[in-house]
Amino acid sequence: MHTLSRHIHPGWLIIAPLLVLVVALYLGPILNILWLSVTDPEPGFGNYAKLGESDALIRIVWTTVRICIITTVFSVTLGYSIAYAMVHCHQRQKNYMLTLLLVSFWISILVRTFSWLMLLGRKGLVNGTLENIGLIAEPIAFMRNELGVLIGMVHYMIPYAVLPLLVSMQSLDTRVMDASRNLGASGTQTFWRIYLPLTLPGLVASTLLVFILSLGFYVTPAVLGGGKVLMVAEYISVQLLVTLKWGTAAMLAAIMLAGVLAMLWVMSRFMKLSTVFGGAAR
Amino acid sequence: MADLADTGSLQVRSVSKLFGTFRAVNDISLDIQKGEFLTLLGPSGSGKTTLLMMIAGFLDISEGDIALDGSSIAQTPAEKRNFGMVFQGYALFPHMSVRDNIGYALSVRKRPAEEIRSRVDEMLELVQLQDFADRKPGQLSGGQQQRVALARALCFAPPVLLLDEPLGALDKKLRVEVQEQLKDIHRRVGTTFIYVTHDQEEALSMSDRIVIMRDGAIEQVGTPQELYERPVNQFTASFLGKSNFIQQNGKTCALRPEKIDLRKGEGHSEARMSGTVRSVTYFGSMQRVIVDASDGTEIEVDIDVWRNSEPLDVGDAVDLLWKDEAAVELQTG
Amino acid sequence: MHDKQFKKEMLTEGAHAYKAGRMDRRTFLALCGASGVAMNAVLAGDAQAAADHVVMWNWGGQSEECHGSAIGEAFTAKTGKGLKFDTSGPLEGKIKEMVDSGNVTADVADADLFNAVSLGPTGHLESIDYSVVSKEKTLPGYALEYGVSVILYGYAFVYDTEAYGDNPPQNWADFFDVEKYPGMRSLYKWANGSLEAALMADGVAGDALYPLDMDRALAKIKSIKDNSLYWGSGSEAHSMVVNGEVSLGMVWQNRGRNIENDTDGRYKLVNNQAMAMPGAYIVPAGNPAGAAAMEFIATAQEVPAQLALLDCLGMTPSNPEAFGQIPEDQQDYAITSAKNIDKIVYNDPDWWGKNGGDAVNAFLEAIS
Repeated sequence: MHTLSRHIHPGWLIIAPLLVLVVALYLGPILNILWLSVTDPEPGFGNYAKLGESDALIRIVWTTVRICIITTVFSVTLGYSIAYAMVHCHQRQKNYMLTLLLVSFWISILVRTFSWLMLLGRKGLVNGTLENIGLIAEPIAFMRNELGVLIGMVHYMIPYAVLPLLVSMQSLDTRVMDASRNLGASGTQTFWRIYLPLTLPGLVASTLLVFILSLGFYVTPAVLGGGKVLMVAEYISVQLLVTLKWGTAAMLAAIMLAGVLAMLWVMSRFMKLSTVFGGAAR
Repeated sequence: MADLADTGSLQVRSVSKLFGTFRAVNDISLDIQKGEFLTLLGPSGSGKTTLLMMIAGFLDISEGDIALDGSSIAQTPAEKRNFGMVFQGYALFPHMSVRDNIGYALSVRKRPAEEIRSRVDEMLELVQLQDFADRKPGQLSGGQQQRVALARALCFAPPVLLLDEPLGALDKKLRVEVQEQLKDIHRRVGTTFIYVTHDQEEALSMSDRIVIMRDGAIEQVGTPQELYERPVNQFTASFLGKSNFIQQNGKTCALRPEKIDLRKGEGHSEARMSGTVRSVTYFGSMQRVIVDASDGTEIEVDIDVWRNSEPLDVGDAVDLLWKDEAAVELQTG
Repeated sequence: MHDKQFKKEMLTEGAHAYKAGRMDRRTFLALCGASGVAMNAVLAGDAQAAADHVVMWNWGGQSEECHGSAIGEAFTAKTGKGLKFDTSGPLEGKIKEMVDSGNVTADVADADLFNAVSLGPTGHLESIDYSVVSKEKTLPGYALEYGVSVILYGYAFVYDTEAYGDNPPQNWADFFDVEKYPGMRSLYKWANGSLEAALMADGVAGDALYPLDMDRALAKIKSIKDNSLYWGSGSEAHSMVVNGEVSLGMVWQNRGRNIENDTDGRYKLVNNQAMAMPGAYIVPAGNPAGAAAMEFIATAQEVPAQLALLDCLGMTPSNPEAFGQIPEDQQDYAITSAKNIDKIVYNDPDWWGKNGGDAVNAFLEAIS
């Protein structure tokens, strides 16, 4: 006991019960999912073998990844511009923008999704107006397809993309940008050689956050995709609730989890993840 | 640095900077010679940094004009002025190596890699950081970072180097050392240095000329010696070193404490003032005596300890003596 | 849900304690007050406190009100027991999860008859007590061991009278004919009804649908994929039509009347070849109210309840006794009305119970 306490800080003993509880509550369900994926409906790797047998499953996973990548690219790019504008405008405008950003967090995803239908649907405001002023004869199919899903998801994800970028940009030393200009760099050169590299941790954090959250999207694709854009989260839900193929659902969940972990691992090869998540740079 | 031979003089003509209705810099005119080491000295809020930022191009000029070698640069953006600058806190690029920091100005000018390489090597040698070329700024000490900032600013051979409190972050001992290096580098590169500081010792020890500023305006311009020996007003006299202010022939005069001779006892024939000792503070090389003069004023006297072996005590009656030329008549209050 | 469960347990405990004198009246009242429950409601059943009402598990919304007025009131009058609701939607997966977890909180689930086929044999459902529930008060073949059809809903379609006014579509063949009837259509996303409609459109007779020829059905579905949207809920189907997103919309027949009203008659319901779906009441294994669930189902089979459900929800009676009493204004909409009953086809819960999961996945894979 004596030698043990020399190696273990007594503080750990105090938080140990909570730590055990948290680990159990986190790991328990995850292990349960992994277990289910190799035991339901029968023991073995039959569920995983389905990935090789079924083009459809691969297609669903591919659709999900593709949509998430496109969503991430647009959300982070637009988020970067918004964060940049917020950091560089007057305090007053910045407060307005921040308020709008936070308000959008409080609006339910269902409301936001259906708002897009009203705005961009076949008989929506935009199509109606364009038809009325004679610009188009047939309504433009913004919604009930992959484009609709992307619009809805990018819209939902932008605030999540902005916040890490905002933090990253606000903590920059603006004199470094002055120094770059003083040394003869144009605005473009300063952006690519100084500003972007220095906001890279925020950019990576924002990308990871948006991509991982996008993977779990369910409502938006289901509604705005018109039933034709099937993503993993919705498919998992159908397997759980309707077709009772829990093994398949667990297998897909495990695949997604492994994918996310693999992505984090790859990222960690290139940069210290602690800097991405706000830790010290050194 | 032959290309610097003909360039580097700077003309500041009636320049003002207004923030709203507040005049941070008010109608300043200044001629800076090429190769000169000029210091802008003043307390915070005196407008010295604002003036520097206008010269650098980071702030627009509200009124007046700034010219380099006679041609106006007021409309030239900061990145086109080709002025080097050492920032307060250095503003090094944290994600780049020392070598890339120093070579940045040449690299954005798309100079050939070989040229950049040899020039950076030259600069590394100048600031004696040859062994640190591949480090990141975060891995360097404060003094080393300061030298990187200097090398970076000088790498593209600017006609003018602007330095904004470059030693502010260093401790006192290091500061004296770096002052020497700076002075040495200035001599070797021949660039015009415009140096902003609030530290009078720094200003006195390095500058060719000092500009003393207060409330956005110039109080006095001159060599360190001129300013110290012949301050024109009370502000300059008290900002640069210590000074007593006495009335002589109906005029206010500045009288440096070390120029007063103090004699114990009363009745000296050449005595200009008498009084009693209020306090004596020992500083090693000298001691500072504060005397309550008979006319009610308070006079500070610095005396060499070794020359006045006779011990002084509080309450001792003393006579104060000085030469005529020691008291400098002030032009204004 | 957990909150409700906790309160229920707490109050039942409290009732015991109060009766046994371990808790004073004041404390017990406070406990009841804190939980928003009248003391009488808890005390009424003594130890059976939890069982003095039946919990119906449905989809909420209008159903809650209608099930209460159409069945609940008669049930309470007959048995003295109340009716409560869990409106979280009794999807098959949720029923399975509830029973597997051992924490069964619902007595009667408003589900599909094919759920009885898939969940019954695996031990997740109570078998129907046909000494209480009547086999005669539903359509033949719709009284199964683990579930009985209480109402019928159906897959029918509505069409845009402005687009096809002169030559309206008559049947599923027309619905699938994009040449003759250009425009978007909507189908049910979870395969049910959509597959049968596709087969009928492809020429299969309504009484020869089962077992479903999946390849043939999916090929037909895919043939109009570019002209199709797919809905996952009744409200979504409704809004796709009302918002003008589709010219031909497969809908749940009970929504037909509302759609006609909401579009001022622009869209019209076609019940020809409507697929009658047996909506069934099933009982999760180990339900808290026990046998009372059967009495509740029996009440729902009665003609007044059947007609009230039609009036309130648009759900069609499944008790043949009620067919003749369908009021005039519901003749067009109720699929078992004299006007429609000869034109409809019947869903086979047995096939769906055994093959539904694979069919849904194959369908999803075909449309995505």
